[in-house]
Amino acid sequence: MSKAGRFDPVLLLAVPAVLYLALVYGIPLLVLLGRSMLAGGAPSLAPFIGFFSDGFSWIVIGNTIRIAVLVTLLCLVIGYPTALALARAKGLAQALILVAIILPLSVGVVVKAFAWQIVLRRDGVVSQIMTGIGLWDEPQRLLFTEAGLVIGAANVFVPFMILPIYSVLKLIDPRLGEAAATLGASPVYRFFKVALPLSLPGIVTGIAFVFSMAASMYVIPNLLIGDRFQTLATMTGRSFLFMRNEQLGSTTAVVLLVLTVAVVVASAALSKRLGGAS
Amino acid sequence: MKSGFLSVSGAAKTFGAATVLDGVDLSMGRGEFISLLGPSGCGKTTLLRIVAGLMTPDQGKVALDGEDITRRPPHRRDVSVVFQNYALFPHLSVAENVAFGLKARGAAKDAIAPAVTKYLGLVQMSAFAGRSIKALSGGQQQRVAVARALAVGPKLLLLDEPFSALDRKLREAMQIDLKRILREVGTTAIFVTHDQDEALTMSDRIAVMHRGRIEQLGTPAEIYHSPATPFALGFVGLSTQLPGKVVRAADGMVEIETAAGPIRARANFIPGSAVLVGVRPERIAIGEAKANRIEAALADAAFQGARVQLHFAAPAGGQILAEAPILPAQAGPGTRLDLSWDVEDTLVYPAPDLAA
Repeated sequence: MSKAGRFDPVLLLAVPAVLYLALVYGIPLLVLLGRSMLAGGAPSLAPFIGFFSDGFSWIVIGNTIRIAVLVTLLCLVIGYPTALALARAKGLAQALILVAIILPLSVGVVVKAFAWQIVLRRDGVVSQIMTGIGLWDEPQRLLFTEAGLVIGAANVFVPFMILPIYSVLKLIDPRLGEAAATLGASPVYRFFKVALPLSLPGIVTGIAFVFSMAASMYVIPNLLIGDRFQTLATMTGRSFLFMRNEQLGSTTAVVLLVLTVAVVVASAALSKRLGGAS
Repeated sequence: MKSGFLSVSGAAKTFGAATVLDGVDLSMGRGEFISLLGPSGCGKTTLLRIVAGLMTPDQGKVALDGEDITRRPPHRRDVSVVFQNYALFPHLSVAENVAFGLKARGAAKDAIAPAVTKYLGLVQMSAFAGRSIKALSGGQQQRVAVARALAVGPKLLLLDEPFSALDRKLREAMQIDLKRILREVGTTAIFVTHDQDEALTMSDRIAVMHRGRIEQLGTPAEIYHSPATPFALGFVGLSTQLPGKVVRAADGMVEIETAAGPIRARANFIPGSAVLVGVRPERIAIGEAKANRIEAALADAAFQGARVQLHFAAPAGGQILAEAPILPAQAGPGTRLDLSWDVEDTLVYPAPDLAA
């Protein structure tokens, strides 16, 4: 606290990363923003006004947010219990869980897509199980549906939910749970009043990771759902690659950027506040 | 008072090849304050965790207030624990920490606030109710931990070396405070410590633990004046110790040959037994002529304010020390002094098996 206002030389260690990001990311981003606003020669908000006055744009924004939210929720529901188990596990069990989580990251999305086709098609594993246990009356195709997209994307992103939650859970003093138990708290009460609130910073970080990746994914929707379903990211790609419409592409890219930055900044602020309480 | 309000019988626990608890029996009365005293690794914390339900014994039973609770989970035992590192909930305020147990037990809302006020007052932390745990000093956190454990009205309070992280002055103040608080509340408590002064100051009875067993259970005075084993003699308080051999035995008296000279004591041993003679330092007079007399060369004198502790050169396997109000005149390193004590003050034990 007493150091407030004084420059900490350790901060200089961030300079290489900042320079690198500015060069390969920040400057091109500014160029992009410039292209979308300077299309007519003079700075203008016309591209944005045009974009937001088109009903289809709102469908695309809705698609983007809906898919990102569903993927994030699915990752949270699958990831939290996994993180809990991982934090509790010791030795070989812990190593095996960690390998199971991290190893799939080394398998490319294209390879995964073939696996998904086996799992998600009409005579695929999911369909057979669901009809087998009687939840579905007849086999259904998940491939090229939003549900299939959410399942596939969550499969790719779930490690990014598990790892931040695990790293926070691991740091919680196990005596806190024991203290709660000896005070008369049942296991369920202990979870909701001790472990869960103390792990909130990890949850918030995981949400920020997964949401921003799910909102901006391009390859996965292309492989799992195709052109009929557009998100801000796929629309940006189409604008540049197929429609040769740089202005639309830069506009959608900026909208997507604002959306994910808003979520990441909000969650970082939330995390800081929650972290301050723990 | 010494009836079995808490009764532990035959409790045993092993971790891999290590026997941590080797069949422990302990019985204590309602309202009693017992210390488990012993060096680290003696099994005292394991015994405490078994009583709390945080660990299940491999063998043996735990009964509290007439009910077998050996396999009952900790949240249904009515046994609170004050942990060594306090284990306060960092995301809750001081008052919320104290209220935690009552809320977890589903206490009526209008009963919680008065209880929190009462117990924070008892530990003199009322002014800190709204504070964050992180804003408290170690001693203050300790008080909150005690209030939190007592607020649920436990049948039994367990304290696991609660003062070990505090500096000496604060520790002594907290010892006196805790005794007062427990007397006011009337709580039955087990206090785990490796600090003999703490155990002697606070306890109704002390269980001296060594290698997974209780070597002696008795009042602080019994433990100090009549230690039951060489370990209790050595661990609690200071003592002169001389190895020797019984040469004569008759009518409950033995004569023991030691390297420092013959010593007489009240004990029953057959001649030829290897024994260890023990004497508390304050029982040894300097320059007087009591029944047991030895001569020893002064090695070192440690000034301790009210007294001077005198260390003497001792034969192999023994130690000789005495206490005096002031250093005897002209005494320095190497000075030979006459040390003597009464037959009644002579403790005799079978020679400890050094291999064990």
